Amino acid sequence: MSAASLRYLGAAAMTLIVSVGMYAGAPIYVLYIANLILTYTVLAIGLDVLLGRAGQFAFAHIAFYGIGIYTTAQITNHTGIPFFVAIIAGAALASAVSVLIAIPATRLRSVYLALATFAFAEAAQWVFNNWDAATSGPNGLRITSAHMFGYVLENDRDAFPAVLILTGLVVIATVLLTHSSLGRNMRAIRDSEHVALASGVRVQRVKIAAFAISAAYAGIAGGLFTLFQSFVHPDSLGFDLIVLVLTMVVIGGLGTLPGVILGVLLLGLMPEVLRNLREWQELIYGLILILAVIFMPRGIWGLVTDRRKSRQVRDVVASPSSGKDAT
Amino acid sequence: MTTIRHTIRAVAIATVIALAPAAQAFDPSSPAGKYKDPGITDTEIVIGLHAPLSGRLKAFGYDVLYAAKMWYDMINKRGGIWGRKIRVIIADDKCSPTELVGIHKKFVTVDKVFLLHGGSCTHSTVAAQEYVTRNKIPYVMLNASGDAAVIPPTRYVFGAFGGTQRTLGGTIVDFAARALKAKRIAYISHDDEYGAANTAAARFTAKKSGVELIAVEQVSRRIVDVTAPVLKIRAAKPDAIVITTYTGPAALITKKIYELGLRVPIIAAVQAIPNPPSFVKNVGNMKALANFYYGSPLNDLTRGPKQKWVQDMYKKAYPKHNRPTPFMAYGVPSAQAIVYALMMAGPNPTRESFVDAMSHLKFNTGVLAGPIELGENKRDGHNASIFIKFDGKKHSRMSGVYFNKFVGQK
Amino acid sequence: MTGSIYALIALSLVIVFKSTEVINFGGGEIVMISAYIAMFFLILFGLPYLVVVPVTALVVFVIGASFDRVVLDRVLGRHRPGQDIMVAMVIATVGLSYVLKGTVRLFSVSDDVRTLPPIFSTDPIFIGDIVLSQQDIAIFLISIMVMMLLFGFFTFTRIGKALRATSENPRAAMLVGIPVRRMRTLVWGIAAALAAVAGVLVSPKLLVSPDMGGIIILAFAAAIIGGFTNVLGVIVGGVVIGVIENLVGLFISSKAIAITPFIVIILVLIARPQGLFGGAVPIKKV
Repeated sequence: MSAASLRYLGAAAMTLIVSVGMYAGAPIYVLYIANLILTYTVLAIGLDVLLGRAGQFAFAHIAFYGIGIYTTAQITNHTGIPFFVAIIAGAALASAVSVLIAIPATRLRSVYLALATFAFAEAAQWVFNNWDAATSGPNGLRITSAHMFGYVLENDRDAFPAVLILTGLVVIATVLLTHSSLGRNMRAIRDSEHVALASGVRVQRVKIAAFAISAAYAGIAGGLFTLFQSFVHPDSLGFDLIVLVLTMVVIGGLGTLPGVILGVLLLGLMPEVLRNLREWQELIYGLILILAVIFMPRGIWGLVTDRRKSRQVRDVVASPSSGKDAT
Repeated sequence: MTTIRHTIRAVAIATVIALAPAAQAFDPSSPAGKYKDPGITDTEIVIGLHAPLSGRLKAFGYDVLYAAKMWYDMINKRGGIWGRKIRVIIADDKCSPTELVGIHKKFVTVDKVFLLHGGSCTHSTVAAQEYVTRNKIPYVMLNASGDAAVIPPTRYVFGAFGGTQRTLGGTIVDFAARALKAKRIAYISHDDEYGAANTAAARFTAKKSGVELIAVEQVSRRIVDVTAPVLKIRAAKPDAIVITTYTGPAALITKKIYELGLRVPIIAAVQAIPNPPSFVKNVGNMKALANFYYGSPLNDLTRGPKQKWVQDMYKKAYPKHNRPTPFMAYGVPSAQAIVYALMMAGPNPTRESFVDAMSHLKFNTGVLAGPIELGENKRDGHNASIFIKFDGKKHSRMSGVYFNKFVGQK
Repeated sequence: MTGSIYALIALSLVIVFKSTEVINFGGGEIVMISAYIAMFFLILFGLPYLVVVPVTALVVFVIGASFDRVVLDRVLGRHRPGQDIMVAMVIATVGLSYVLKGTVRLFSVSDDVRTLPPIFSTDPIFIGDIVLSQQDIAIFLISIMVMMLLFGFFTFTRIGKALRATSENPRAAMLVGIPVRRMRTLVWGIAAALAAVAGVLVSPKLLVSPDMGGIIILAFAAAIIGGFTNVLGVIVGGVVIGVIENLVGLFISSKAIAITPFIVIILVLIARPQGLFGGAVPIKKV
C-alpha cells in the first residue's frame, strides 16, 4: 500500500472513530457545530470544483446553496416526499439554474465573470427576500424535521449520521471526479484555456459541466442544511457567506481536497475560538485573510505539501545510495 | 514503515479524543435526583443571556442586555429569589438566526442553563422557536418584537417586551388619525420582517379608524437615494407621513420630504431616532422637523422624570458606559418578568412551573407606556406607545397612551 | 443627482483597475474611513474644511500606498500570474475592507449614524420639477473636473502613459525601465486619495456609518456601464445608474431599487462587457 493511501485510510478511520464517540456522548452543541462544518465542507468542495479545479472565477455559489435549502425545505414542509428525493430535487434545480447562467457567463473574461456572478448571488439574495410565496421572504422559513427510513430526525444527534454519511459520499464522488477524464479536462482548462482548446477539449461544454456540478454540490449542501436547522433567513445568504466559503477554499488550498477540508475546519471553528474577542472579530478576520494570502499563497495544504516535498528531497539527497524514490 | 506507525499513533489519539465526550456523559459529579431541570441548585439559578453585542446592530442590544443584568444584580444584592442568586452567562448573538440558535444549543447542552433570556432582532428570535419548543426550554426575549414567534403564541416563547412591530404600526396610525386628524396617510417602511408586520397592523388600524393609507412604500435598509419613493408619496397628496425605517434612511427621507416641498406632519418610529442630535445633523435642516413626531414604548422621554430612576440605576451600575442608547430601558421589563415568575413559581421551581407562572403575569414596569400582560394564550408582553414631538431641540410629550389592537386579524 | 456620487467613487475603482487589473473590493471602506478621518480632524481639532480635505486625502493616500506596498506587492510576488493572482487580490481587498470596518467599529463614535457638515449649501434649488442643491452641483462639477484631470493625466503625462503601459504588459514595461512597483503604489495612493475626496463630499448625502461602504456596488455598476477602463465614461455610467434607480423606484416599486444595480451589472456584462465606452475587450495571451 502506498503511503498516500495509507494516510487517507488513517484519516478516514480517525474520522469514523471520533464521529462515533461524538454521536454517543457529545453535547448537542458539539454535534450542531459538527453538522455545520460538514455542510460547509460540501459547500466548499463545490466551490473548489469550479474555482480550483476548473479555474472559473465565479461567485454565484451561495445562490445555489439558497436554492437547495429553500427547495428541499419547501418539499419537506408541504409534501410527504422522502428526503432523498427532496435533496436531489434541490440539487437538480440548482444545477439547472447554474447552467442557465453559465451559458452567457462563460463567455466573459475572468474579472468580469467574477463581477457578474457576484452580482447574481446578491440578486438571488434579493429574490429570496422578496419572493414571499416561495421563500416566506423576510420572515424566514421554518423547516420541519426530515423523515428518513421511518425515523424523524428531531435534533442534531439524529441528523449527524445522515449528514456525515452524505458528506462522505460527496468526498468520494469528488475523488472519482478528480481522476475522471472530466476532471482532467477541467484541470486542462484551468491551466490554459487556449492550450486546452488546441488539444481538442470542448472547452465550453466542460465549463458548463463544471458550473452544473459545482451548483449540484451547493444544492446538496442546502439539503444537508435542512436536516438539522429548523429555520432559514435570506440575511444569512449574502456577502459574508460568499466571502467565508471563498476564504475556506483559498486559505485551505485551492484545488486540493485535504486543503479545502482543512480550510473549512479552520475557518469554521474560528468563531468558536474568537468568541471572547467579540468586537475584534471583524478586524482579526480581515487580518487573517490578508496574512494568509501573503504567507500562504497556495493555502495551508500548500505549506504542508511543500514541507513534505522538501523533506523527500532531503531524504533522497542524504542517502544517494538508496536508489529507489522515497515514498 | 514509519507511515504505519504514524497512522496507528493517529488512530490511537483519535480514539482517546472520541471517548472523552462519551466520558462526560457519565460524569458522576452531577447530582442526580433533587432537581429535575439543569441550571438550578440550592444556591443559584443559571440564566443564558444574549443580545447583539457587536456589529451593526450593537445599539439595539448592548445597553439593553446590561440593563437586564443590572436588574439581576440588584435582586442578587437583596438576597436573590428564594435564597438563590441568579448567575448569568452572556453571549453575543449578532442578530443572526444561525448564531442565536447555536448559542441556545450551547447554553442548554454545554452550559446547562435553566432558562434562556435574550434577543433584540425579530428574525433571529423567530429562529429559536422550534428548538426551545421541542426541548421544552423557557425562552424569554429581551427587547425583540419577535412578532412571528409570539403571534400565534406557543407555550415556551415569551416576547415583545418593548412591543410588537404590530404595536408600532397600529399605534402610529392611531395617533396620526386621532391626534393629528389625518385622513390620508402615507406609509414608508423597510422590506424586512419588521416592515411586513408593522405595515399589516397599520393597514388594519387605518381601516378601523376610517382613514386611508394612500401610499405604502417599502425600501431596502441600505437605500441611499430616496427620491423615487418620496416622489411617489408626494404625488399621492398625503396629510401625514409615517416613517418606520431605521435612522439613516429616516433622516434621508425626512430631508427629502422637506426638499420636495412637502409640509405635512411626519411621524417616525422609535428606531429612527436612537441619537436625536445626530439625527438633526443628518437631516441637516431644523426646518424639516417643524412638524415631526416619534413614537416610543417608554412611559416618558428618555431624559424625562419617569425614566430618571432607571437612568440613574444604569449609570451607577456601569459608570464606564457613557450615554446609553435610548433602548437601554427596554432591557428591564423582561428581567422583571423573569424575576416575578421565579418568585411566583415557589421555592422549588421547575421549567414548567416557571412557564406557568410567566403565563399569568400582569404588572407595571415603571419604564414602559403600558403594563406587561401575558396570558395562557398571549405571549406578546407589551402593546402600548406614547408619542413625542421633536423640533430638533426640544422633545415634548404628547398626551395619551395608545394601545394596539391588531393581532393577526385580516 | 446621486449619479455623480457613484461616479466619483467609481473613479477610484477605475484607475486601479486600469493600471493593475485589480478590482478593489475594499473601495467602499476606503471612502468610509476617509469620512471618519475627516470627522476626526474636523471635530477634534476644529480645523476648517480647507485644511481637512487635503490632510485627509494625504492620510488616506498613505494608507492606500502602504496597502499596496505591504500587502499587494507580496501577493503579486508569490502567486502564479493569471487566475491565482486575481483570487488572491480579491481576498486581499476584501480583507482590507474587513480590517477597515472592524477598526472603525472599535471606536464608539461609529455607533451612531452621523454626517459631515456639508461643504456647500444644501438648500434646494428648483429647476422645474427637479430639485438640486449647491452640494449636488458641486459634486457633479468636481466629478467632471477630476475626470478631466485623470484623463489628461493618463493620456498626456509621462507617468500616466507609463501606468497604462504597465497594466497592458508589465514585463515589457519593466524591460523598458519603468519602475513598475513604484507606479502601482502611486496609483493606489492616488485612488485612495480620490476616494477620500469622494468620501468628504458625499457624506452629507450618504450619511456616515461603518456600513456606508455598501455604496460600492453602485459605483461598480457605474464603472461597468461606462466601461471599466474608461475614465470619462464613468460620469455617464453614474448618471445612467442613478436615473435607472429612480425610474425603477417610480415605475416598478421601491422594493426593486435594491436589486437594480445587480441586474444592471449582469445585463451590461452579458450584452456588452466593455460598457458604453470601453475599448474592445483585449485578449490576454495565457
